[in-house]
Amino acid sequence: MHKALTVCPYCGSGCKINLLVENGTVVGAEAANGRTNQGQLCLKGYYGWDFLNDTRLLTPRLRSPMIRREKGGQLEEVSWDEAIEYASSRLRQIKEKYGAKSIMHTGSSRGTGNETNYVMQKFARAVSGNNNIDCCARVCHGPSVSGLQVTLGNGAMSNSICEIEDTKCLLVFGYNAADSHPIVARRILKAKQKGAKIIVCDPRRIETARLADLWLPLKNGSNMALVNAFANVLINENLYDADYVARYTEGFEEYKAIVAKYTPEYVEDITGLPAQQIREAARMYAAAPTATILWGMGVTQWGQAVDVVKGLSGLALMTGNLGKPNVGVGPVRGQNNVQGACDMGALPNVFPGYQSVTDPAIREKFARAWGVDSLDGEPGFTLTEVPHKIMSGEIRANYLMGEDPLQTEPDLSEMRQAFEKLELLIVQDIFMTKTASVADVIFPSTSWGEHEGVYTAADRGFQHFEKAVEPKFNVKTDWQIISLMATALGYPMHYNNTKEIWDELRSLCPLYAGATYEKLEGFGYIPWPCPDESSPGTPWLYEGNKFDRPGGKGLLFASEWRPPLDLVDDAFPLVLCTVREVGHYSCRSMTGNCTALATLADEPGYVQINPRDAEKLGISDQQLVWVSSRRGKVITRAAVNERINVGAVYMTYQWWIGACNELTIDHLDPISKTPEYKYSAVKVEMIDDQRWAENYVQTEYSKLKSRLRHAVDDAIIRLPA
Amino acid sequence: MNRFVIADPQKCIGCFTCEVACVVAHNGNHLGALTPENFLPRLKVVKEWNISTPVLCRQCEDAPCANACPNNAIIHAKDSIQVLQEKCIGCKTCAVACPYGAMDIVTRVVYDERNPLSGHTVKAEAQKCDLCEGRAEGQACISACPTDALILMTHESVESMKQKKRQRAALEGISAILS
Repeated sequence: MHKALTVCPYCGSGCKINLLVENGTVVGAEAANGRTNQGQLCLKGYYGWDFLNDTRLLTPRLRSPMIRREKGGQLEEVSWDEAIEYASSRLRQIKEKYGAKSIMHTGSSRGTGNETNYVMQKFARAVSGNNNIDCCARVCHGPSVSGLQVTLGNGAMSNSICEIEDTKCLLVFGYNAADSHPIVARRILKAKQKGAKIIVCDPRRIETARLADLWLPLKNGSNMALVNAFANVLINENLYDADYVARYTEGFEEYKAIVAKYTPEYVEDITGLPAQQIREAARMYAAAPTATILWGMGVTQWGQAVDVVKGLSGLALMTGNLGKPNVGVGPVRGQNNVQGACDMGALPNVFPGYQSVTDPAIREKFARAWGVDSLDGEPGFTLTEVPHKIMSGEIRANYLMGEDPLQTEPDLSEMRQAFEKLELLIVQDIFMTKTASVADVIFPSTSWGEHEGVYTAADRGFQHFEKAVEPKFNVKTDWQIISLMATALGYPMHYNNTKEIWDELRSLCPLYAGATYEKLEGFGYIPWPCPDESSPGTPWLYEGNKFDRPGGKGLLFASEWRPPLDLVDDAFPLVLCTVREVGHYSCRSMTGNCTALATLADEPGYVQINPRDAEKLGISDQQLVWVSSRRGKVITRAAVNERINVGAVYMTYQWWIGACNELTIDHLDPISKTPEYKYSAVKVEMIDDQRWAENYVQTEYSKLKSRLRHAVDDAIIRLPA
Repeated sequence: MNRFVIADPQKCIGCFTCEVACVVAHNGNHLGALTPENFLPRLKVVKEWNISTPVLCRQCEDAPCANACPNNAIIHAKDSIQVLQEKCIGCKTCAVACPYGAMDIVTRVVYDERNPLSGHTVKAEAQKCDLCEGRAEGQACISACPTDALILMTHESVESMKQKKRQRAALEGISAILS
């Protein structure tokens, strides 16, 4: 039995895990003493590994390359040579017919790791010849990246996860640590034990709200108004650090003018909060010797998200809570490697290391390194624009890796329509997901556990993860597959291992230059920037209050509040907000195949509803109900809970039968193009015949599982002639 | 005094890791053996307005469950209250008697050649926290909890806790009254 030291493939806490391996199979997991997790894990870390053994509880592992030779036909198992030949020639045809920009690519924010993402964006840029590459940060913390890059210069967490426990005040805005990052919740608890004040802004009484000194149950959709009101109080009650503002920021006068009307009294109606409570919260934040703002999807998944992020960073700037330890702005990145996918340039507007595609000198540098004449200088398409670009004919081919958009994008019926129109869909994944099941070409890749690499945790920390077992199927690593595609398309690409890829990208990214594999061995933890080999990395940013933007000062920026788009009415009187499940992760293709996690929670999932709303609708706890919006209808189970605010319901996006994204709306923030998952108008209806309903759920679930299983098991196999 | 496991609600984040750890530990650490039918954690996370905490057996000194059992299936052993499952008839009296709701009556179908028709019969078990008796590594829920909310209280730890509280009361309490 040996132990492989890896990093958890689920959330961005970056927990180190020892996978226990016996006879080439993973048989267990134990917590390792990583920087962020300190020997602790949550249920996903302990029990989220048995999908590796192809349990087929939900859907099977992909085990061979496959081609669907005609639309609507069956998938056929083929050799790697044939699959690469087929996919590359079709891609070449599409490029010749429609131009380079007709091809879309995705990076993957999960198990594949940083090196693969570097190779995928290199493929998009040097081989396809466009910047059409994006990752799921687009539907997640994209607004945080956009917003903070403008106001502070760096789009990531300014301080480290470890420092959370030593801050004197936590302002937790639209972030549910207990469900998203249990290991971060642990730090919040420790902060509280050490005497920190905790302010929570969230419509639901989430776990952190129970511990909070102040809980502000703001109305769904009032973020900007509340943030402006906080700024208003800081200014009008003279609670801000005037010296810091004068020396290290700019834009104060315009900022002050815009927030002037957002007195706590003015926003009472919009936020549903008493003015006094807003004042108390602002005073508590300002009074703390050190304060940290943490936020999540409750801030970013809105049509007005970037503005709110800028507003939050303004509060930190005004109170001097930057540029030192135990303070800062914390957009806590969700997935285990979404920070990494962004770091590696799986974004349409930047190369790896956040170097702009519109900068000719940068383009020249990468072009020379990659051996091409020139690189496209126009930012590419974002993930959320994909369905529209497909419908308009601008995107004809989609090279999709480690993503399940037919589960995770908003307005799934719109997504399905768009994907049907795609001429070529290549899906590179480890499972037969709903998305893979409609692919024209399937490239099966190695899973976490079957390859090594580097992830970036939520607080910019690079960590190496080891390979534990050999893959059991006819699969290749993602970067090997992409290299074969590149070579087939006339751009010879070959790497022997991930270290070679990592060394190449370090040479091109000043921010990561000193983060070598040697330094990352074992429990190495290097938060970038790491400019040279002697640097241990940078746990907290903006030393000397120098911000990474032109002029070096932080920008104070405020906006008027805008309401959400899909407003409730008599027909659809409840607000649907999407949230997370602690025992499952994202599209659930991995955790749904883990025995313990799947037995703890399974389809159709839940809709969390307040007892008063439930009673009005004649619904009791655990009953199956219909939830519908202007776009779709799904069945799910009612979880009646007084912690939920009246007038709103909450569903987690992990479920395939109770799929809340059938209901959500494709309304995007204008700058970051992030969808407004947090506000859709819905109605909930009770179902009289519960027996029928239970049967229906089981039948639909079996049908779906069966369809996915058959896609793998009954793929055509042509025998050699 | 009996040992018992208890959770500090101030530290619970309602993540259910303890429930899963309990089930896995009582199924021979074998993930493959888990089904919705045998997913029966002996501690249950309860979430109310002001509190999240797992609730489980207190290993009572004068255990109502042991007193109620008509078949002497519940005994005091190894500083805890244990159920002798062979003797359990599933009468549910213990479940009714327990003020903490910590006892679950579960049934499983077992092979029984005495039953000539189906060859099967139903075996009842009164399930509650057994302090992971027989598990070398100790209580699974305690090791798994990411926030260390669950602790094992023993006679020694309770005595030490009482002593600290008495000291604090002596040092802080009197001066507060007198000032």
